[in-house]
Amino acid sequence: MKEEIRVGFAGNPNCGKTTLFNAYTGANLKVANWPGVTVEKKEGETSYKGQKMRLIDLPGIYSLTSYSMEEMVSRKVILGGEVDVIVNVVDASALERNLYLTLQLLELGKPVILALNMMDIVEERGMELDLHRLPEMLGNIPVVPVSARKRSGLDVLLHAVKHHYEEQVADPVVTYKPNIEMKIQEVSRRIAVEHPDSENIRWHSIKILENDEQIFKDHPIDVSDLLDRDYEKQIINQKYEYIETVLEECVFYKGNRESLTEKADRVLTHPLWGVPVFLGIMAMVFFLTFTVGDIVKGLFESWMDLAFTVARSTLVNLGTADWLVSLIVDGIMTGVGGILTFLPNIFILFLALAFLEDSGYMARVAYVMDGIMGKVGLSGKAFLPMVLGFGCTVPAVMASRTLENQEDRKKTILLTPFMSCSARLPIYVLFADMFFGKHAMMAAFSLYALGLLMAIAIALVIGKLWKSSEKATLLIELPDYKVPNARTIRIYVWEKVKDYLTKAGTTIFVASIVIWFILNYGIHGMTADVTQSFGAQIGKVLAPLLVPAGLGTWQIVVALISGLSAKEVVISSFSVLYGVNNVNSVQGMAVLSASLGSVGFGALNAYSLMVFCLLYTPCVATLATIKRETRSWGWTLKMVFFQLLLAYAASVVVFQAGRLLS
Amino acid sequence: MKLNQADILQNYRITSVQEQEKIQRRLEALGILEGTKVVVLNRKRNGSTIIKVRGSRWALGNEIAEGIEVEELKG
Repeated sequence: MKEEIRVGFAGNPNCGKTTLFNAYTGANLKVANWPGVTVEKKEGETSYKGQKMRLIDLPGIYSLTSYSMEEMVSRKVILGGEVDVIVNVVDASALERNLYLTLQLLELGKPVILALNMMDIVEERGMELDLHRLPEMLGNIPVVPVSARKRSGLDVLLHAVKHHYEEQVADPVVTYKPNIEMKIQEVSRRIAVEHPDSENIRWHSIKILENDEQIFKDHPIDVSDLLDRDYEKQIINQKYEYIETVLEECVFYKGNRESLTEKADRVLTHPLWGVPVFLGIMAMVFFLTFTVGDIVKGLFESWMDLAFTVARSTLVNLGTADWLVSLIVDGIMTGVGGILTFLPNIFILFLALAFLEDSGYMARVAYVMDGIMGKVGLSGKAFLPMVLGFGCTVPAVMASRTLENQEDRKKTILLTPFMSCSARLPIYVLFADMFFGKHAMMAAFSLYALGLLMAIAIALVIGKLWKSSEKATLLIELPDYKVPNARTIRIYVWEKVKDYLTKAGTTIFVASIVIWFILNYGIHGMTADVTQSFGAQIGKVLAPLLVPAGLGTWQIVVALISGLSAKEVVISSFSVLYGVNNVNSVQGMAVLSASLGSVGFGALNAYSLMVFCLLYTPCVATLATIKRETRSWGWTLKMVFFQLLLAYAASVVVFQAGRLLS
Repeated sequence: MKLNQADILQNYRITSVQEQEKIQRRLEALGILEGTKVVVLNRKRNGSTIIKVRGSRWALGNEIAEGIEVEELKG
């Protein structure tokens, strides 16, 4: 028995590879219903009857000719020797498109096992597949019907992997017309002479006839007398002709489904209503986030108050040193606890985004926004990372990998941080509630809108500055709508909630301790006079700079600087700085707004602060991701300065204009 | 007729595809090439078009739709 079989999951985007991978490995990788969710290769382990297997989940590809960045990853893994066997996951309800890649994989000559996924949907639609004839027409490879979602057929698939992982397809599955076959023979003859150690000569020859750049690079060969652009077309056409025969023989009752999807699309992708409907949906998402989140919040508050009282009295009763009580209660609990009370809002936001992503609507957003994005020189597809940015900027920046050209990618990466992420949500919730009374929600909404407008304005300007060599064009598959899957939603939301809690336990925890420390210590050691503390000293240096923006107090400076670690830290810093135990409660807000009010900080200052928080440099996690994705420190640093300047300028404008008007 | 002018919910056959090399190859791999049958499902004012080809739905930007010539299928 082989020590470990390496299994690569390959298939079209959105056919369920990651769902299958999660089912086998117990991983909780993100799954959703739009093409391009997976942009990285991920590995995991499983075993079947004592046989260890290493599973490799890959970004979806439509063919072995790579088009965008994440597709190159898949091509490399499949063509290189990284896997022993390819499990070709196909959407059985869309075989016509899926089988094209299958035929390419079969030509490759590596062991292939076909996993016919989404068999539940096939049944629902009343379609039938001839599972006897299908493998016969595909070179007798094992064909296993599965449903990754319902977790059926999983053992059978691993059984097939265990027993067939060494079986290569011997004979060509697709025989081309004589003129092409003759060329293949001729090229094969030449490759055999020039590169005698080539593994699959037929495949290489076909790829040469298809003009594949990479293959030419690896196997330089002179075929200029044989090549014709038309061969590629003929080869593709004949593969599709073969697929049509497969469908005729193996698929029964294809049904002419004027499906629910097409009915829904008549409204959702309507030429006039498409954009308003999308904006309405997003407004609904934020409305729910604020209102439902606020209702649930009430529950949290009383628990938090109790926790503070119990903690303080217990610690005092235990005879804990004063400074330690202060560190634990006024530092850690205040900072971390303040953030935890926003969990209901975060939960609702991600729940809503999960529904959006798993319903199939996400891909439509690219189409609906294509017109507006086209005006700023981007394709509608660039809007998808921006929507993800309402959740968290880190995965949003990574999602830009699905864009075809590098300039568009950089542009999108630059715009994404202007989408208000869930970490900025607590800032809006708190300051809008404190200073805008019954208009709180409008104030918060206006910041989401401002971020969006800012992104569009910046895209317009750079569109003029960076002359793009290729025009960005939209090309995206629109999947069927479906009822979001309970398990998918649960995993999605739980992973996000877990991230939030982890952040509270790590970044925010540490930041709260640091803030407590710099407030309680100065150059002369521990100090009761806060104005002598390190925090006040540092803050006072920079505070004058922020006076024109209405943010000229040292506490705000400290909060903004610490917010670079994570935007929520702005809130936890305010709690610690002003000694507010439970900042998100009615009482807490009263205390904080009174303290702020005493130095003349009013609604206008609050709005200026929110604008600054919206626009200024994103958190370190985002910066690290941007550095990794652009592979350039210079570019990342320039972006940081740009955002700082922009935030400063915008908040100054807001504050000064506001003062003039009032 | 160009695809970005074709009528909605009509059946067409593609007669030629003229795009930038990279996009042309991509479309070919997706089975969107000469001879393929296509139905237009929807179109935006900027010309972006949703089509159904080989059982799958695709949203194409206007620049792509413009490069695809189609002829109406009778019956």
